[in-house]
Amino acid sequence: MATTNPLQKALDKVGIEYKPTEFPNCGLHCSLVLEKEQIQPLARALAGKGFFIETVTAVDRIKENIFECIYLFNHYDQSQRLLVRVPLPRNRAVQPSIGRIFPGAVWHERETTEMFGIRFEGCPDSRNLLLPEDADFHPLCKDFSGVS
Amino acid sequence: MNRPIQPTYTLDKVGEENFALNLGPQHPGTHGVLRVVLHMDGEYILQADPVLGYGHRMQEKIAENMTYPQALPYVCRMDYLGALSYNLAWVLAVEKLCQFEVPERAEAIRVIATELNRISSHLLWWGAFLLDLGGFTPFLQALTDREQILDLLEEITGSRLTYCYFRFGGLPSDVDEEWLTRVLAFIKEFRDRLPRYHDLVTGNVIFHHRSKDVGVILPFDAAGYGLSGPILRGSGIEFDVRKHEPYSGYDRYDFEVPVDQNGDCLGRYNVRMAEIEQSLRIIEQAIGSIPDGPVRSKVPKLIKAPAGEVAMAVETPRGQLVIYIVSDGSKKPYRVKYRVPSFANLSIFAKMARGQLLADALAILGSLDMVIPEVDR
Repeated sequence: MATTNPLQKALDKVGIEYKPTEFPNCGLHCSLVLEKEQIQPLARALAGKGFFIETVTAVDRIKENIFECIYLFNHYDQSQRLLVRVPLPRNRAVQPSIGRIFPGAVWHERETTEMFGIRFEGCPDSRNLLLPEDADFHPLCKDFSGVS
Repeated sequence: MNRPIQPTYTLDKVGEENFALNLGPQHPGTHGVLRVVLHMDGEYILQADPVLGYGHRMQEKIAENMTYPQALPYVCRMDYLGALSYNLAWVLAVEKLCQFEVPERAEAIRVIATELNRISSHLLWWGAFLLDLGGFTPFLQALTDREQILDLLEEITGSRLTYCYFRFGGLPSDVDEEWLTRVLAFIKEFRDRLPRYHDLVTGNVIFHHRSKDVGVILPFDAAGYGLSGPILRGSGIEFDVRKHEPYSGYDRYDFEVPVDQNGDCLGRYNVRMAEIEQSLRIIEQAIGSIPDGPVRSKVPKLIKAPAGEVAMAVETPRGQLVIYIVSDGSKKPYRVKYRVPSFANLSIFAKMARGQLLADALAILGSLDMVIPEVDR
């Protein structure tokens, strides 16, 4: 049966199963855990179905020694908030950039880079955004305790 | 797909007319401490590179180091012109996370206060935008009316700018009938004054020359940059969180989402002016149907949110704000992300400014309605 849900269509295109979550409880329509290779094809499929980028950020899971890179997408026609979570090893956190698919993601990726130290490969611009241009610390990491 | 700008601080071909110009950090046109490095060819902009962070306070780290109620007043310091929307987003996010109930009377009062705040924000934008375009009178007129809203809000919240009025589970205090009557009186008076706004500015020929077909945003670009709010609706996309993901009982009220198909500064102007009228409609309906009852439900004194995550979207005067909280079950949030509308809305400025006259770039910046502390957080 053909679906009219743009999110399901986009996920079908890249072969990811669509599992809705309880929106009234968490404010998300769908939540996915993906490998880092899957993010660019997914972003292309979402851009093709008219999704917009809400944000790119990360969560420092220092006990598990990983960063979770978080993406939030949504749709202008009908609310379809998609959360994508990509676990990355803390010591070599490199993630493919979606800045050439969603130009608005460039600023979000720049912010995530300076705040967590996650490198976005292929990001058109990797300078610091909110921190001073010579800042080499990553304040949102859980082991950050201040600059002397 | 357009390639985002890779700024180069040394221009290859420096002619007599080519130079780099610093707009800001202190400039009335940037409405805050924002610096834009402009590479100019005479009066035309070759490349614009916004430099952010002058007002950066690490709000997300502050929230991580505080309990949920402690973080409440900090949230309102981001967008100081639409503080109640931020206040609302934070309490709604925590209420959703902890599954607190909110009485209906409290929801109605929240809507009334937030919509009053939206009008006051749009009025200040109206005055400041026209100040950018060189008109001084509109600013004074807008502030006169805004003053009345500030007086009304001061009475219930205790502050005039960075309001912190909502609490988890409701409100700290109820409003009285007399206050509601005065809000209705203000609406009536303000409706009579609104035509003066249009007489003074909307039909003005000079204003049209400065704003029509200036800074056009195509709907295609809007999605790529994640725009929201009046800027998005000025490009013809009907997206409003109040309609798409209703909260606080917005689905009970009858209101329209104004859109404009032109996508230029004039389009964004028209959308905001129409939004003021819709906000007045919402307030009238909310006051008309306000139920009696308590304004605060029982909420534990020590709030320990269950482990999990929540995303809460709210329509602020500037667009879609998403507060994303990750909780580990303790009394402090593990991670807080503020997805602020101005941040996304400003990211398209570099693209819009390319090839424009410097004076038009200031009109564009004014029409985007930036609040820089919100961008920098």
